[in-house]
Amino acid sequence: MEMKEITQERIEALRAGHKVLAEFHYEPRPVERGYAGKTLYVNVSTNTIGAKPVDERMKRTFIGGRGFDLWLLWNAVKSDTRWDSPENEIVIASGPLGGIVQYPGTGKSIAVTISPLTGIPVDSNVGGYFGPLLKFSGFDALEVQGIADREVIVFIDGNAGLVQIMEAPEESVNSHILAEEIVALFGQTPQEKQGVSSVSSGVGAEHTLIGCLNFSFYDPRRKLTRLKQAGRGGIGTVLRKKKIKALVVKYVGVKGDSNHPTDLETIQQVGAKMHREIYERDPIMFTMRLDGTNHLTKIMNDYDILPVHNFRYGSHPEAEKIYSPHFQKYFVYDAPDGCWYGCTLACAKFAAGLELRTGPYKGQTVTVDGPEYETVAGIGANCGIWDAHAVLEANFYCDAYGIDTISFGTAMAFAMECYEEGILTPEITGGLKLNFGNADAMLEALHQMSRGEGFGVIIGQGVRRMKQIFVERYGADPQFLQDIGMEAKGLEYSEYVTKESLAQQGGYGLANKGPQHDEAWLIFMDAVNNQIPTFEDKAEALHYFPMWRTWFGLNGLCKLPWNDVEPADNRTRYKGIEAAKVPEHVENYVRLFRAMTGRDDVQSGADLIRMSEAVYNFQRIFNLKMGSGTREHDAIPYRSVGPVTDAEYESRAERYDQQLRELVGVDPSGMTTAEKRQALRRYREAQYEKLIDAVYKRRGWNERGIPTLEKVRELGIDFPEVVALIEAHTQKGT
Amino acid sequence: MIRVNNKWEIEWQPGMTIRDLLVACKFTHHYVAVSVNGRLVPAEEYDTWLVADRDEVQVIHIIAGG
Amino acid sequence: MRKVLITHNELCVGCHLCEEVCSQAWFKEINPAKSAIRITELGNADWGMAVCNQCGECIAVCPTEALYRDKAGVVRIKKDLCVGCLSCVGFCPTRTMYYYAGYVEPFKCISCGLCAKECPAEALAAETLPD
Repeated sequence: MEMKEITQERIEALRAGHKVLAEFHYEPRPVERGYAGKTLYVNVSTNTIGAKPVDERMKRTFIGGRGFDLWLLWNAVKSDTRWDSPENEIVIASGPLGGIVQYPGTGKSIAVTISPLTGIPVDSNVGGYFGPLLKFSGFDALEVQGIADREVIVFIDGNAGLVQIMEAPEESVNSHILAEEIVALFGQTPQEKQGVSSVSSGVGAEHTLIGCLNFSFYDPRRKLTRLKQAGRGGIGTVLRKKKIKALVVKYVGVKGDSNHPTDLETIQQVGAKMHREIYERDPIMFTMRLDGTNHLTKIMNDYDILPVHNFRYGSHPEAEKIYSPHFQKYFVYDAPDGCWYGCTLACAKFAAGLELRTGPYKGQTVTVDGPEYETVAGIGANCGIWDAHAVLEANFYCDAYGIDTISFGTAMAFAMECYEEGILTPEITGGLKLNFGNADAMLEALHQMSRGEGFGVIIGQGVRRMKQIFVERYGADPQFLQDIGMEAKGLEYSEYVTKESLAQQGGYGLANKGPQHDEAWLIFMDAVNNQIPTFEDKAEALHYFPMWRTWFGLNGLCKLPWNDVEPADNRTRYKGIEAAKVPEHVENYVRLFRAMTGRDDVQSGADLIRMSEAVYNFQRIFNLKMGSGTREHDAIPYRSVGPVTDAEYESRAERYDQQLRELVGVDPSGMTTAEKRQALRRYREAQYEKLIDAVYKRRGWNERGIPTLEKVRELGIDFPEVVALIEAHTQKGT
Repeated sequence: MIRVNNKWEIEWQPGMTIRDLLVACKFTHHYVAVSVNGRLVPAEEYDTWLVADRDEVQVIHIIAGG
Repeated sequence: MRKVLITHNELCVGCHLCEEVCSQAWFKEINPAKSAIRITELGNADWGMAVCNQCGECIAVCPTEALYRDKAGVVRIKKDLCVGCLSCVGFCPTRTMYYYAGYVEPFKCISCGLCAKECPAEALAAETLPD
């Protein structure tokens, strides 16, 4: 966010450009037991706006959040819908527990679309105030369909009961300015400004497929707008394709009982207990309030899990230069940092005093939220850039331009390896010297994405398309690119090295949307603690944890307060994997859900898992509908499984040689490195296939990865179209 | 020899404490739960608890990650 | 300058009158769960007296700037700004920010001194301390 004031003159100019294209009036009604009971439909092609009812079956089957998103999107798209088809939608929802203020991590929005990177639904879980304010305005979800013929803003005034599509020619596109303009346009007092939240992207999203959404919230102490990102899967690219500058919601009057829960007392008791736990435990556990997710960088480097040079390696001697203290210098701690009211875990760090050295805002001193671990690891370590300032500057510009820092980091690292390998030359890159460590080249490629010119635009197409382009145009070896290109299903990997954790290879490869770690994060449990040694153990973990984590997305929640802090007695009361589930916190969520919705049939964690299982399987079948969702699409690049090159093998030769002797049953002495590498590869690839078999079985899927009819009936998702899809694919045989 | 997490073998040394063992394993993470032969060792005893040769040690790293 | 309710635990006789006076003054009923001062039995005729010392650490954790220090140095809650997140309850070093289940906003001692006037053991005093 830029620190410059927006002048009254500028606001008047913006307002003068507004022309209402469509308007919809409704009677604002209070939320009941966590549900508004309606969803909002907006079509920017036809300029139509309407409300749809939420019935009991929808609530029971899909719960809310990501569940509602997927159901609405399913009904809107056909199997041949592409990301840029007019019928594709961006759907955004909170969830029945969204907007609770008494419990930390309850302000999340979940955004879903058909992804430009993967062609299947992507879901992205994001902070900021939009989702809860949308719900309190009367809508459990917002569907936006169509492609506008001019730049528009969609404005929801939840107090007045008014929805407008308005022409908005004058507003900025880049989020760091646009979000400030929106707040200035729609809020006067600090309370009103806190009641305004926008969803926007930036110019970078227009020229790449890795565009992110920025969700805003107003920080009344610093008197500026802050941004949280729905990063993954190119949803920002879809927003800009629709010519939408911003989705805006305004609702003033959030209170601790705005959800009208069945049992406010229980929510208060559980919430107050959790705040106390964070107060006492966070300083001695993971220091989220101090570091945010930055504390992870050192741990990952120490345990050989930090991606270095396009995931070749897991650590680097210079990694210390991007550890948390180098970012703490920029962090300001003068205000509560929750991205929703009452989030005392407060991982959203606020970096100030960043003087930009490059790009269109060069010389300006700006602030930026973050950086998150993923950004530091992806743009820093993975690209070999050991420079905290460069990482922060890239973070700022990614947010401003509407670009996902994770896909950006992983795609950049891939391009850098191709450059170092001679696949790319300065002639091809237009002079960009994409060596690992070249921060200037990284930043210039980012600025090219914003301008829609140069090699940066190629990088912005993502790893899958780069592979294709480099093979077709520059004669690259397709097998080598397949091995080192860190994408699956078309989505770039997030930032963990999985070579020594078979379970996490599955955690990435089997994730519905593509390789993002939010479904399962099992590296330590698997590779270090050795708590899930057998295929059955790993399959159980790859059932439980993805289902459990899905539940947060159904309810408008953040995952962090679940296990980024633990009760003091968690490890004495519970053993092994049970402790990793943090049972007391699971019980908190059971109590919150019951207290909110009044659903007394929800009694235990198993009831929550069942909710997730229905939506999770539905999403898997949605992938099938879009032409994916079968075993071959769960394949992963070998770089995520083992050493691709001799240099990688030799860098950890002792470890790999030992594994050849003990696990593969091969004597490595006398073998060349290439032979050893291939022997290890055969073994590891076979292990991955066995893992997939075990997980499919545990999840109730057939050997091709398709949920069985029995399973979908059991889960209550046996809609006619679902049954027809499964039957069609099952008849095809194996 | 000390078996750690049923995965690694660490050379036992006379007078070796839990802390020494963690260092030998390069386990730098500050928040771990250590059990010796199935018995949980309080964190404040890591510097004084002596491990015996052939002990089975479990070091659970408590880390939430991504 | 800070107006604070001073407690003298050694003088407290555990009559709980302060709790009654407090809840009566601010909630119009006698209910210790609605009192901003809490007396607990520690055994051996000792009594714990839990009341806000106006340290103000809660001000920093409030997301809506509903908590502030007034001219007398007393930490107060603007109810219209408070959303009732209870962050301050969890983060109070002395556990003396209270809430009554079912009421959205929390409450606390504002050093009004009414209880001190009634205390038969002179275990309480509203005093103004220098910073």
